[in-house]
Amino acid sequence: MKLLLMKTIRAVFLMLLTVSTIGLNAQSDPTGESAVTRTFAITNATVIQAPGKELKGATVVIKNGLIDAVGTNVTVPKNAQLIDGKDLFVYAAFIDGLSNTGAKRPENMPRPNNLFSPDPPNDYAGITPERSLVDQLDIESNTIGSLRKEGFAISHSVPFGRMLPGSGSIILLGDKKHADDLVLSKDVSMFTQFAGAPGAYPGNVLGIMAKFRNLYRNAENDKKHFDSYAQNPSGLERPERDRVTEAFFPVVTKQRPVIFDVSGVLEVQRAIRLQKDLGFKLMVGNVKQAWDLGQTFKENGTNVFLSLDLPDAPKEAKGKDKDEMTEEAKRLEARKMDFYKKYAGQAASLANTGVKFGFSSLDVTSNKIKANLLTMIENGLSENDALAALTTNPAGILGIDKIAGTVEAGKIANIMISNAPYFTKDSQIKFMFVDGDKYDFEIKEKSAAGNGNRAAAAGNDPVVGSWTYNFETPQGATTGKMIIGKEGTEYTGKLTSNDGGPDNDMQEVSYVNGTLSFSFSIDAGGQSVELVVTGTVTGKQYDAEVSVSAFNFSTPLTATKDDGQ
Amino acid sequence: MKKNILILTLILFTGFVANAQVKKGDVLIKNATVLTITKGTLENTDVLVRDGKISRIGKNLKAPNGVQEIDATGKFVMPGIIDAHSHIALSAVNEGTSQVTAEVNMGDVIDPFDVSIYRALAGGVTSTHALHGSANVIGGESETLKLRYGTTNPEEMKFEDAPRTIKFALGENPTRGGRSRGIQPSSRMGVEAMLRNSFNDAVAYRAKWDAYKADKNPRKVAPEYDLRMETLVDILDGKVLVHCHSYRADEIYMLMKVFTDFGIKKLTYQHANEAYKVASELAEFGAGASVFADWWAYKLEVYWSTAYNATILTRNGVLTSINSDSGELIRHLFHEAAKTQKYGDLSDDEALSLITLNPAKQLGIDNRVGSIEVGKDADIAIFEGHPLSVYAIPVMTFVDGVKYFDRATDIDDQRIYINPEETVENISIFNRHDEDRCMEEGVVSFEALFSNKK
Repeated sequence: MKLLLMKTIRAVFLMLLTVSTIGLNAQSDPTGESAVTRTFAITNATVIQAPGKELKGATVVIKNGLIDAVGTNVTVPKNAQLIDGKDLFVYAAFIDGLSNTGAKRPENMPRPNNLFSPDPPNDYAGITPERSLVDQLDIESNTIGSLRKEGFAISHSVPFGRMLPGSGSIILLGDKKHADDLVLSKDVSMFTQFAGAPGAYPGNVLGIMAKFRNLYRNAENDKKHFDSYAQNPSGLERPERDRVTEAFFPVVTKQRPVIFDVSGVLEVQRAIRLQKDLGFKLMVGNVKQAWDLGQTFKENGTNVFLSLDLPDAPKEAKGKDKDEMTEEAKRLEARKMDFYKKYAGQAASLANTGVKFGFSSLDVTSNKIKANLLTMIENGLSENDALAALTTNPAGILGIDKIAGTVEAGKIANIMISNAPYFTKDSQIKFMFVDGDKYDFEIKEKSAAGNGNRAAAAGNDPVVGSWTYNFETPQGATTGKMIIGKEGTEYTGKLTSNDGGPDNDMQEVSYVNGTLSFSFSIDAGGQSVELVVTGTVTGKQYDAEVSVSAFNFSTPLTATKDDGQ
Repeated sequence: MKKNILILTLILFTGFVANAQVKKGDVLIKNATVLTITKGTLENTDVLVRDGKISRIGKNLKAPNGVQEIDATGKFVMPGIIDAHSHIALSAVNEGTSQVTAEVNMGDVIDPFDVSIYRALAGGVTSTHALHGSANVIGGESETLKLRYGTTNPEEMKFEDAPRTIKFALGENPTRGGRSRGIQPSSRMGVEAMLRNSFNDAVAYRAKWDAYKADKNPRKVAPEYDLRMETLVDILDGKVLVHCHSYRADEIYMLMKVFTDFGIKKLTYQHANEAYKVASELAEFGAGASVFADWWAYKLEVYWSTAYNATILTRNGVLTSINSDSGELIRHLFHEAAKTQKYGDLSDDEALSLITLNPAKQLGIDNRVGSIEVGKDADIAIFEGHPLSVYAIPVMTFVDGVKYFDRATDIDDQRIYINPEETVENISIFNRHDEDRCMEEGVVSFEALFSNKK
């Protein structure tokens, strides 16, 4: 009896303790922002479980961050928050194959004093494969939210840098308290790009190809040395520690693939040439010119992430302009259109060749992603292949197909819900689930109302409108228009050039506390060079500095807002 | 080990397959004046090409079934022109950050989209020697190309199985680079020192690896691998032909002494404007020279020159060729060769050899190209008018029997890839050909030459 009493007291005590713990937890969120429940049920929805596999009137249950059940005959848990899925379309959230999502660009390393250009320190040369994306991850980065808004829940993200910036990791595009919480899979790839060191070796693609071979061959030798020392160190010369060569070990043992940022057809073939010489596992990302490479990809089994960026469609001349065109100009315009079609149609042609490619968001302005996907579909890509390229293909390539890529029980609850079939012009994303957490989006009234909002925003916004810029380059002054618009909360813009050069899209446009900054890329002899522009807006005047990290060079840019804006 | 051999065989086989995909043509050229270079000039003669090779040369040949016939009555057929010094078809020319870059390879940066390739074909050129620039004392390995314009695959531009070659440079270009970076070399003495130091390092490197390979200890530790040294060792072992940018007689002579000391034999001087001063020494060494017909005075070290250079070298028994080093000159190398008849009275065969057989020998590809002979590759140029005449017009150019240029069907826009965002008004015929030269910084002001502010 006494014993029983003791037991009861203890049980009550324990229960009290438990309750008070719950109480404490509740009090630790004074903001009240944490979700009431992590159990959700989307009922009576159209569920596209995987490309070509559609369920109508189905329920999806989400619990503890996982997809708990999917089907037409599913019991909804009592504690679930219900989402009426009538007229909603449920997809696996998208997976981005290569980007810098969530990464914060580190300060450029200043040129060391007395730099010996043939043999610079590794960090100045951009040879830092031992670094990890995780060290650059910033939970505050707005790239996470802006990619999530477009339907993505996962990014294969790589660090900023030069030739060998470090290893890429697979991250979840959620709002988390700590950078580590974003990481789904750490250090899954070694990121490489043809970006030379400013005024030091390796300075360009010639040196980079050679340096890569040299590092790789040495790592192969060093790995053997390390292994045999680990087996039995007695009487064996001690292997010297070297973070660069050690970072190559998982690559030479083919446990970790090398991912190249290679947009042009020649760069892609250079990456493949290195792979053929050395034998590592290869992924190519941010690929923009692949229409001649389908067979090569197929034969080599190369893993491919096509760029989600597309060139602007050539404008067809009309009326008087068309009448005044010479026959030669017409032929040249026709060729431009042919090549635009190649860019827009390459996803379709790769799919038809049987290449299971994914997509990369590296060079695309996020709010153009859907429009570009629809353009690819107009140019022959099937919706199933498009969805596969956004979900199942990258999941397979990145080795996460057991936990992501489809709407199936047991997978991580990464789900995109739209108010119409996604690959239609007017569809909008209403909810995103990332790692089981729900994100709501406002459905905007389409067309006329949207334009009206934009115009109103333009009227009030100090940067939206047309500017005339003047930019000093070593070749002389360049002038043109800087046209900035705003869609929702995001700025977009382009730079036109008065000397007849092509328009450049302004990337990562931000305007905070009077500081307008953006970046754009120019083609410098076959190499894409990124220019970063930052400066202050005072009334109608913009005073900025353009810096080119690839050349360790900066120059002023000024702009004046055009009248009548 | 067996597995490695298997993999190696597979790799070689894949390489072979890739090469085998290169287009080969069949054609019968009828009734031409054939300038064979090696076997005289043959009037009213036919040349039959089968599967990319010259299969018969003779009179009244019949075209086999399905083989296209070209009437070349009144026209001249010559071997395709070979340019031993070119920087067209390359995405990058110099890795100028270091003064010894034997590890870099122009085969990595071939640009098959360069329209200069088509312009060269339109001048009867079928092969170029795509060299590293002259910023470095020891530049990178070069790549011998066949001008198969239209391919998007850089590998298909390569002259299969051509010997490896490498670019060296003496004089003002490498010293200017050294001085501007505050590193060696800043004088001609420094250039020689760098060469000797590099080869001494290579000798030591080779010894280290030889010792490692001879070591029977199963737990042996490999020495550090160094691609730069690997290439230098291959030069010492005679596996790589050296092509050296040079102008002055003293530096030309210096390199022969260095090479004699290290036992390196395969050497061709590029530019070599003062080679005529050391012609007999070159002949004795067995070095070749690849020169301009009459181009000089673009910087101080190139002042003491003569248009008789090629003739003097030829008459002294030096293997000589005439090159372009330019996307413009490459279009009329036949004119450049003809200048040696004005300045030196070379025979037709001697003059044409300067742009065909001789550069082929300097590149080690004379078993395949450089003359019209049965069994050689069908790399052929057809001219209206004798190619050494000022009225010569190239009308067709074949590589491996495939026609890549035909004046009759020449279209305006030869670009392979188009940027859909570019403005049409911007198109011009001028291709900034000065950028195709390794001496792009060659012209400096008189003041700058004597200034200490470098």
